[in-house]
Amino acid sequence: MRALSIASTGMLAQQTNVEVIANNLANMNTTGFKQQRAEFADLLYQNIQTPGSQTSDQGTYAPNGIQLGAGVRTAAVYRVLTQGDLKSTGNPYDVAIQGSGFFRVQQADGTDAYSRSGNFSLSPQGQLVTQNGLVIQPGIAIPQNTISVTINSQGQVNATVAGQNTPQTVGQLELTRFPNEAGLNAIGDNLYLETPGSGSPQAGVPGSTGYGTIQQGFLETSNVNSVDEITSLITAQRAYEMNSKVISAADQMLQNTARLGSS
Amino acid sequence: MDNSLLVSLSHQLAAYRAMDVIANNIANVSTPGFKREAAKFEEFVTMMRPAEGQTGLQPVSFVKDAGVMRDTSQGNLEQTGATYDVAIAGNGFFQVQTPNGMRYTRDGHFSLDNNGNVVTSQGYPVQGDGGAITVAPTDGQVIIAPDGTISSVLNGVTNLLGKFKVVDFPSTTAMAKQGSNLYSTDQTPTVPATVNVRQGAVEASNVQPVIEISHMIEVMRAYEATASLSKSQEDMMRQAINQLGQMPS
Repeated sequence: MRALSIASTGMLAQQTNVEVIANNLANMNTTGFKQQRAEFADLLYQNIQTPGSQTSDQGTYAPNGIQLGAGVRTAAVYRVLTQGDLKSTGNPYDVAIQGSGFFRVQQADGTDAYSRSGNFSLSPQGQLVTQNGLVIQPGIAIPQNTISVTINSQGQVNATVAGQNTPQTVGQLELTRFPNEAGLNAIGDNLYLETPGSGSPQAGVPGSTGYGTIQQGFLETSNVNSVDEITSLITAQRAYEMNSKVISAADQMLQNTARLGSS
Repeated sequence: MDNSLLVSLSHQLAAYRAMDVIANNIANVSTPGFKREAAKFEEFVTMMRPAEGQTGLQPVSFVKDAGVMRDTSQGNLEQTGATYDVAIAGNGFFQVQTPNGMRYTRDGHFSLDNNGNVVTSQGYPVQGDGGAITVAPTDGQVIIAPDGTISSVLNGVTNLLGKFKVVDFPSTTAMAKQGSNLYSTDQTPTVPATVNVRQGAVEASNVQPVIEISHMIEVMRAYEATASLSKSQEDMMRQAINQLGQMPS
């Protein structure tokens, strides 16, 4: 009986759905987190009578066929890359991207990773680093005895050193864009890696054509909408229940069949 | 062999199939652009030799599959906010170029591939009026108009990128499902009178849980009834054999 396996594909799909929703809700307060959604597609069909097949020599055609589906599968879990809200923190090393683009950081193995999370700090050497100590690329060193740091919307970092009146430019933040940002590979710690699906990175100055601007003293919150997620959770849970009902109904039919032969 | 057992058998097989179709609908309750289906059955009349006391051939009717009817009604438009999610309100299909030829879909969850082409979740390019639609990273904000025109707005300047090709067919129920939310057909595409697409939304499955569950119960009960009919026929036969086979004392 196929209904059993069809319903089990449905339960599996809804389980994936609940897992994705759970991860979104768990990351509601993660800086720069982008909401994910599970997307489903129907499985292959068994053609018992192909739709549009000829039913007589007179050129009449069946308006409907007999195609039996095999259930559902998860086609993709994609990211919704809409802008998150900007939250004011007042910390000079907190920067948010308003618009498109990612910060580029260097991982421990020397390869590049990308992040939307702009809660930076200083390393013991005075370098601008992420919360995991990864250096922002291109590297920006803040001189010692710096009194104040300003980062303008074009990403230019200016530092005022004690004893000097005019701020000096100490670096320039860069943003990276991809042809398909949804194709980036998330590796945790708010980091993404380039993949063949994302296309190659294109670096640019914040505020230039197609790139976002920088807001100092702000952080980008996650774009998870709790009301949306809870509604999706209820829908997923009900869909899961319905699939389990199909399994028990199919089971009952099979029990009836098994009883036929007994006296 | 008694015909009645075969008649019940034909109904039981039909009920299995009806159950498979319902299970597939429920499994696809969150598949975008999915259209629900219902198994249709018809009477199959055959002439059987007469029983005792009857003359001439007697008609006996069985159940057989007539087809799987597809309900092509509009699914709800679910807001997602994603730039490349497009839902068709009304008739029509998006045209998708796959390695196996042209396919059609109502699942409008698209994204960009590494070359900036608008593609489906399997990575097949969605067709515009002049082939694939390409968006460059520097194109700015992408706007999709209700007629399917896709353009980008940058610093107040609008730049036309293409137009989604939305096609319709004389008989949408005769299109074959290919899985992965795609349809295929031999029919010649027609241009729908009006095209109405919405950006930032996806057409949800048109499966209605209440209807499916009530159909499921109906099929299950009908199956039970037929099963008990078969059972009583079997009992009758057994009794007849037992009684006839008893040695007269």
